[in-house]
Amino acid sequence: MDLLPQLLIAGVVIGSIYALAALGFVLIYKSSRVINFAHGQIIATGAFIAFALTQAGVNFWLAGLLAMVATFCLGMLIERVFLRRMVGEPIISVIMVTIGLSSVIEGLLHLTPYGAGSFSFTTPAALTGDGITVLGATLGRTQIAGVLAALGLLGAFTYFFNKSTLGITMRAVADDQMAAMSVGTSVERVFALAWAAAGLSAAAAGVILGLMSGLTLGGLSGIGLMVFPVVILGGLDSVFGAIVGGIVIGILENLAAGYLDRYVPGGGTRTVFPFLILIAVLMLRPYGLFGTKEIERV
Amino acid sequence: MPASRFTQTGNYRVRYQQDQTIFATAAEQASLVVGLLLLLTLPFLLTALGLPKTLLRDVNMVMIFAIAVIGLNVTTGYAGLINIGQAAFMGVGAYATALAATRLNLPFFLAIPLGGLAAALVGTFVGLPSLRLKYLYLAVATLAFQVIFEWTVGHLPLLAQGGAIALEPVQVFGVKATFFNHNLVWYYIILPVLVGLALLWRNVLRTKHGRSLIAVRDNDRAAAAMGIHPGTAKLTAFMIGSFYAGIAGGLFAYFQKAVVIEDYTLHTSVQLLAMAIVGGLGSLPGSFLGPLFIVALDRVMGGVSGWISEKQLFPQGVDAATALRPLAFGLSIVLFLMFEPRGLANWWRLVRLYFKKWPYKF
Repeated sequence: MDLLPQLLIAGVVIGSIYALAALGFVLIYKSSRVINFAHGQIIATGAFIAFALTQAGVNFWLAGLLAMVATFCLGMLIERVFLRRMVGEPIISVIMVTIGLSSVIEGLLHLTPYGAGSFSFTTPAALTGDGITVLGATLGRTQIAGVLAALGLLGAFTYFFNKSTLGITMRAVADDQMAAMSVGTSVERVFALAWAAAGLSAAAAGVILGLMSGLTLGGLSGIGLMVFPVVILGGLDSVFGAIVGGIVIGILENLAAGYLDRYVPGGGTRTVFPFLILIAVLMLRPYGLFGTKEIERV
Repeated sequence: MPASRFTQTGNYRVRYQQDQTIFATAAEQASLVVGLLLLLTLPFLLTALGLPKTLLRDVNMVMIFAIAVIGLNVTTGYAGLINIGQAAFMGVGAYATALAATRLNLPFFLAIPLGGLAAALVGTFVGLPSLRLKYLYLAVATLAFQVIFEWTVGHLPLLAQGGAIALEPVQVFGVKATFFNHNLVWYYIILPVLVGLALLWRNVLRTKHGRSLIAVRDNDRAAAAMGIHPGTAKLTAFMIGSFYAGIAGGLFAYFQKAVVIEDYTLHTSVQLLAMAIVGGLGSLPGSFLGPLFIVALDRVMGGVSGWISEKQLFPQGVDAATALRPLAFGLSIVLFLMFEPRGLANWWRLVRLYFKKWPYKF
């Protein structure tokens, strides 16, 4: 069994989750120019809501859907209560509000029994059983389902942005708020929807990750940090970039783990390598692979 | 002019020379002297008032954080460069101090400045992306530095892979810091350093180097048109900011008697940012009030959660402290930003204004 295909496939699996997480992040940035440091905590919230529902006896698939609805509302609520007041404030204030929110959500999660310890979903019956072997690497059914769900959602979002009126409105606002307002678009509604959609995709990412590698608060909210290399590589305001960036970062971090760990005492290059890429991208091409070039030099 | 120099209620400056003085009124000078005297006798006041001795420990923490927050205010508040890696600069200072003390056997009054210089060097290097990047992108770059710093320390055998590097107790003027007077000895080491560094920054701010930072923050193109090199100004800001962080890190290392990576994580960076915000970005009094507020809040929440777990108000499996601390911390940041974006410094200003104009309202 070769190492390379295995690493590639593991990379695509984790990368599709990164892509899904980054998608929500990009949606918010694209429409309202807010960097959301609380994204990891929203992901964790979604996953734990789904888990709590399955504990209460709800079917796994239904629980996942309900969790997505719940974080949809949570995203809208956060935007309405906190972020709308911050329109026009300096960037540092907006960043700090989301950092503060991440802390608040973390505190609230610690108030539930799920704050400490690790949990795992009972694998639904459809996903138990043998997986398939691709290029000599074995993929479990949960992993396949996870990747398919992630890619399906990403496809649905892309379709939504390109074809539906609402999606096109959102793109219009992202492109030029003033112009969009002047043709009668409700910018506030678009901001709210962007946060809601981000919440929805965050819950999906959380549930998929939870199914594949278990639920811990630290592990789930840690994805919020891993989103940064992804979105910087793909371009902060590009949905397509988030998808490509997610999968590329996923693959690269696995390659680093596979080939570089042996040269580093203690290993663990997986966690730091994406951030080295981040620095390199910032130095060479700050707007990322597919982002809008808008950085000015001084 | 007012009848007495001490009852002056407004600004009667008519010359640039007067405008450049540090203290606007004689009352300010007097209040500074009184304030310093109070600070000098604070440990004895605490004992006289019958307050617990551990309070001095928290006061020391506040002062160390205040040094780091002044530095953060230089980069983020005055120069407008968002820095989410201030704790990493503190860490660089702390580890450099620890290495200087344990490997080179330098005394603490040399090791700590050395830590500051090492941090300034690293800070200038990390600040290099600021020549090309602005706003959010720079914030992300400093965030990446924080992550890379933590990882690197965790993998260097020289730095005990993030584990504890113990530091020997110090000896000042023949007084040896022991278990019993550790807080007291360090109080009188940290206090002069804090006052000195605060005065230093207050003075730098009056020079062209300090004012050029503000000019670059407000509009870098206009600043460039007036002959300020924005790149140099930004690097200066990073250098000064990380120097302060490095000194704070060195002091913290000695004060904690050891260097551990857990003290210099992203969490600490966020805390420092929160202190700067709550205190009021770009203000020197805020740099003292912010740390005071956040540390006090943390202690109060610790007390509250202790009371809650004693009475068993929360269900089993829920730790009150781990829940309430981040909750209160996050809420205080969000509420301050929403309702008092100028921070505690603004309250401080209003209080001072009230007394200055008393008995008149305006």
